[in-house]
Amino acid sequence: MKIPSAALKKLKQAAGEENVLTDAVSLSLYAYDCSLSRTRPDALINVPNQEAVAPILRILQEYAVPFVPRASATNHAGSCAALNGGAVLNLTRLNRILQINTQEGFAVVEPGAVGGDLQDALAPLGFFYAPDPASERVCTLGGNLAQNASGARCMKYGGTIDHVLEADFILPDGGPLHFSRRDGGPDFIGLLAGSEGTLGVITRMKVKILPAAKHIKTFLVTFPSLAHSVQTVSDLAAKGVIPRCVEAMDQITTRAVEEFARSGYPTDAQALLILELDGTPAQIASDEKQLEEICLKNQALKFIPAKNEAERQKLWFGRRAAYAAMARLAPNVMVGDGTVPRSELPRALAKVRRILDDNNIYASLLFHAGDGNFHPQIVFDERNKPDAVRVTRALKEILQACVDCGGTISGEHGVGVEKRAVMAYQYDKPTLDLFTRIKRAADPKNIANPLKLIPLAYAEKARPQQPLSAAAQQLADNIRTRREARVPCTVTGANTRLKTAAEHPLSARPLNQILDIDKTNYTVTAGAGVTLAELAQALGRENVYSILPEKGKGTLGGAFASGCLPGFYPHVLGVEALLPDGSYVRYGGKLMKNAAGYNLARLFAGSQGTLGLVTQLTFKIFAKPVPKAPELPFQPAPANALWRAVKAQLDPEDLFPPLTGDARV
Amino acid sequence: MSDFRPLELDPLHPKRHLRTLHTPFGPRAVYDSASFCTRCGSCQQACPTYVLTAEETFSPRGRNQAVRLAAEGKLNPAQNKELLSRLVNSCLLCGRCTQACAGKIPTAEHMLELRRTLNGRALPALLHTLLSWRSRRPGLFRFMVRAGLALRRAGAVRLLRLMGLTRLPGLAWINHADDILPARTPAFAKRLRQAKIPAAPQDPALIYLPSLEAEFFMPDLAASVLQTAAPKRGAHIWQNTPSGLFEYVYGNVRQSRRLVKNLIRRREQTGKLPLLTDSVDVYLFLRRAPQLFERWPRWQQKAREFAEHVLFITDFMPKKPARAAEIASPVRLDYSALFRREGEPFAAAQKTLKTLFKKNFVECLYKDADTPAFGYGFVRHNLAERVCMDAVRSIARTQTGTVFTLSGLSALELDFCLKQFYPYAKADHFARLNG
Repeated sequence: MKIPSAALKKLKQAAGEENVLTDAVSLSLYAYDCSLSRTRPDALINVPNQEAVAPILRILQEYAVPFVPRASATNHAGSCAALNGGAVLNLTRLNRILQINTQEGFAVVEPGAVGGDLQDALAPLGFFYAPDPASERVCTLGGNLAQNASGARCMKYGGTIDHVLEADFILPDGGPLHFSRRDGGPDFIGLLAGSEGTLGVITRMKVKILPAAKHIKTFLVTFPSLAHSVQTVSDLAAKGVIPRCVEAMDQITTRAVEEFARSGYPTDAQALLILELDGTPAQIASDEKQLEEICLKNQALKFIPAKNEAERQKLWFGRRAAYAAMARLAPNVMVGDGTVPRSELPRALAKVRRILDDNNIYASLLFHAGDGNFHPQIVFDERNKPDAVRVTRALKEILQACVDCGGTISGEHGVGVEKRAVMAYQYDKPTLDLFTRIKRAADPKNIANPLKLIPLAYAEKARPQQPLSAAAQQLADNIRTRREARVPCTVTGANTRLKTAAEHPLSARPLNQILDIDKTNYTVTAGAGVTLAELAQALGRENVYSILPEKGKGTLGGAFASGCLPGFYPHVLGVEALLPDGSYVRYGGKLMKNAAGYNLARLFAGSQGTLGLVTQLTFKIFAKPVPKAPELPFQPAPANALWRAVKAQLDPEDLFPPLTGDARV
Repeated sequence: MSDFRPLELDPLHPKRHLRTLHTPFGPRAVYDSASFCTRCGSCQQACPTYVLTAEETFSPRGRNQAVRLAAEGKLNPAQNKELLSRLVNSCLLCGRCTQACAGKIPTAEHMLELRRTLNGRALPALLHTLLSWRSRRPGLFRFMVRAGLALRRAGAVRLLRLMGLTRLPGLAWINHADDILPARTPAFAKRLRQAKIPAAPQDPALIYLPSLEAEFFMPDLAASVLQTAAPKRGAHIWQNTPSGLFEYVYGNVRQSRRLVKNLIRRREQTGKLPLLTDSVDVYLFLRRAPQLFERWPRWQQKAREFAEHVLFITDFMPKKPARAAEIASPVRLDYSALFRREGEPFAAAQKTLKTLFKKNFVECLYKDADTPAFGYGFVRHNLAERVCMDAVRSIARTQTGTVFTLSGLSALELDFCLKQFYPYAKADHFARLNG
C-alpha cells in the first residue's frame, strides 16, 4: 500500500527526518531476510530510540499502515518480509545492554542488542546467557524472543521463552505494556515468544543470566545408524543424565564438514553425536561413566572425549562449520526446521531422507537430538525456478511428515510466511481460529506484520478435528448451553485455590484420567481434573518424577491455571482447552520445542479460568528426583490491556470470571 | 548453477570490469558470486560500518544484495547513482565480512565492480588527479609531491588551514593529509645513504617495490625493509613505480592491468627476482594479479608465475628483531588491509609477535576494529574517523603500548588518532620492529 504523505510527514516528525527513508535502494535492502521471501516495503523507519516506538505506532495505526518490526533479519521463515508493503521498523539501533546484575542474575537489554555482544559482556564476569542460536553472533535478543529461538543448549536450559523475566512491549495502537513473570495472570512473555512481531513491538527485555560452568567435557561418539544415536539420547534421559548439549549429524553432514573444516570427524559412521557435560568434576566423572556405558550399549563405534580445550574447540568448530560446508556448494542453503517427539526421530528422519531422495535433492541432516529438533540443510539455486519449486515442495512434504509423526512444523525458526500454509496441516480449525482471535485482540486493524503465522482461508484446509473424550464433550455441551442461556461459567477443580461459592460451577473434576506416562519421551499426559496427589502416586508407581509438589492440594488444571505454580509453566509441553464458545483447541504435545503459532500453553497458564477451561496437559517428567516448583498463595492477578482484549475476543458476553485490577504499565 | 548465463552489472561496458573473480571455491562471475550470498547475516556484525550505523545500506549483506539487484535490473544504477555511490564508497574494502562468511563471498571485490559500473570518483577530484599522475606522469607526480612537502615545511599548509581554505569542499582532504603525515619527511635517497644501503647493488637478492608512503613520506620504513630483507646483497629499488592498486581500487581496471603487465615485463628483464613490497594491500593485490587477465591466458600464466614470487616483509623478519627488546608494553597487530584480513602475512606477523612478546601480545577480539586501509580516510572521512576511534578504544581498553600494522599508510592514520586520543600508545609498521 502507498503510505499517505501526511503519514510520512508525521512519521518524520516522530522519528526524525533522516530516519524515514523511501528511496529505492533503502527499500530494496529491507525487502528480505534469510529466507526466499523478498517484498519491498513502502518506507523504512530507523527507530532512533525506545521512546520513539509508541508515537510511530500511533501514527501507523491512525493511517492503518502495516508495519514489520525488523532487527538483524536472520530468520529462515520470511518473518521480516513486508507482504502488504507498509513500513519496516528497523530496530537495530536499539542495541544497548543497559544493565548487568550478577547479584540477582539478570541483564536488561534493548531488543536490538546482539546475543554475542551480551555473551562477550558476561564472560569476564563469569556468567552466560543460556539460549544459544547458531546465529548468536549476529541475531538480536528481541528477534530471539519474537522467534522463540534456541540452540544446542536447549535440552538442558530451554529456549528464549524460559530466559526472559520481563519485557516492555508496545501494542500496535501505541499502548505500552509491561510484562513480568512476577505479575501473575497468563504468561504473556510466553505468548510473545514466537509471535514474530504480529502482536506489537518489544522495546526492552530483562533476561536471566546464569553462572558459567567451570568444568565442561565434550565427547564425540559415532554410531552405525541414526536410530542408535537417538536411542542413546533417550537412554541418557532415562538415566537422568542431561547433557548440556546434544548435537547430531548424519553421514552426509560429517563428510561435508570434514572436507571443509577437518575437525577429525570419522566419516565412516552413519551418525555422529557431540555431547557435552557440565557440573562439578565429580558429577561429570559419574555422568561420563554412565554416558560411556549407554553409548557402548547402543553399539557406539567410537567414543572420543576431547582431551583439552583445543580439542573441544575443534569438535565444535566442525559443528559450527556444518552450515558453511553446505553454503559453499550452492547459492542457497534452505535450512528446514521440524520437531517430533524424541522417540519418533528415527522414523521422521527416515521419512525425510526418503523425501529428499525422491525429489533428487542434495541435503545434509543436522539435529538437536535431545529435543527431537532436526534441520535438513538443502543446497540449491533459487535462480533456477524449477529447482526452487522442487525444494519448496520437498520442504513442505518434510514438514507434513513431521506433523504425521506427532511433531510440529517449527521447533525454533518460526513460521513466517514460508511455513504459513503448512500450519493448516498441523492445527485444526478451532485452534487456528483462536490464533486469529489472539491476533485480532492485540491488533484489530491487522497492521502488525500482517499475513504471517496464520494460514489464509484455512477453513477448508485445516486439519480435521479429533473427537473429544466423553467428559470433555459433556463439558463443551455444558458451556454451549450456558452460553445460550447467558449463565455465568465459573471454572473450578477441587475448589482449593480459586475458591468459588457459585452454585453450579464448571468443574474439571470429571477429566480425571492419567492418559499416558511415556518413559521414552519422558512426558505425562493427564486430564486437568486429576489431583496432584493422584498424579504423584501414579508417577511414584512408575518411578518417575515431576516438578509438581507431591503433597500438593488441588488438581493439575488448578496448579496450571491458578498462577500459584509459575515454575511449572516451562514444563508444560501441550495443552487442550475448551473456549468460552464451546470450541476445543489443541496445542503442542510430547514436543520439547514448538515455535509454530502463538504459545497457547502460556496463554492458559495462570489465566485463572478467565479464558476457558483447560482440559488436558502434557508435561515433562524425569528419571531422577528434581527440585519441586515453589507454590505461591492464590491471588487474583491484575489484568492488563492485552488480557482484556483477548478475553473480549474469546468471551464477549463475559460469562467466564471477569477480569479485575489494572496491571502496572 | 552452470545452467545460467550470468547477468552482468554493466553489459554496455564489459571492458571496465573483471570477467570473473577468483574465490576460494574457484572462479565465479560477479553476479554468481553475489548470488552465493544466502542473506544469513553472519557478516553483519563483522562489518565496522554496519556496527556504527546499524543500517542495512552500510552492511555487507546489503551491499551484496545491491549488486545482485543491479545485475538483475531491479535497481537501476544510473537512476540511483548517488545512493549506490554512498553504499559503495562507505565500504572499507577490509574483507572482515569475507572472513566471517561461510561462503567466503568477496564483498569488497563486488563493491569495486559496482564502483566501476557507477563510473564515479570516490576520492576528492584534486587528490585523485594528483595520485593518478603517479602512473601517467611519474616525473610530474614526483615534482608535485616534493613541492607539496616543501611548501608544507615552509608553513603554506598551516596558512591555508588558518585562512580556512581547507574547509572548501574540494580541499578538505588537505587537512587529513596534513594531520597524518609526519612533520619531517627526509628524502628517500638520502635516508638510504644514511642507512648505508647501496642504491645499485651488484648482485641484488630481490626487487623492492616501495609503496607510495614508504617512498615519499616514510623513508625510514623503506630503510627498515631493505635492512631486514636484503641486508647483504641489497635489492633493486623500483622507485616511483605504481603497482596498479590505486587504479584497481579508485580508477580504471584497464590501466591497472597495464601497470601490472609493466611490472611483470620489468621483472622478467631483471632476471625474475622475487618482488618484495612493504604494503600488505599491494601484496594482496599482486598475489591476486591473475584474475586481471582472465581474457588473456598467456598473460594469466605469466601473472600466476609473477604472483607466486611476490613477497612480504613478514617472510624476512628475523627471530630476534633489533628493536623487539626495547618494547616492554603490550603489543598488538592491526589487521588493517584491503580485501581480506586472514592468510599468510597476518598469520606470520601474528606468530612473530606472539613468539616475541608472549603474554604481552594482545589478541584481538571478534569485534575489535582495524584502521581503515588504503586511503579510506580520504573517501569517507567521517566514517573513517569513527572506525579509527573504535580501534583506539579497543587499544586503550587493553592498555596496548605499540600497535603494529602491515601497511605504512595505516600506521600513519592510526598513529595520528592515537596521538590525539591515547598518546600512551603508538602505531608503527611491522617492518620497523627490526630497526
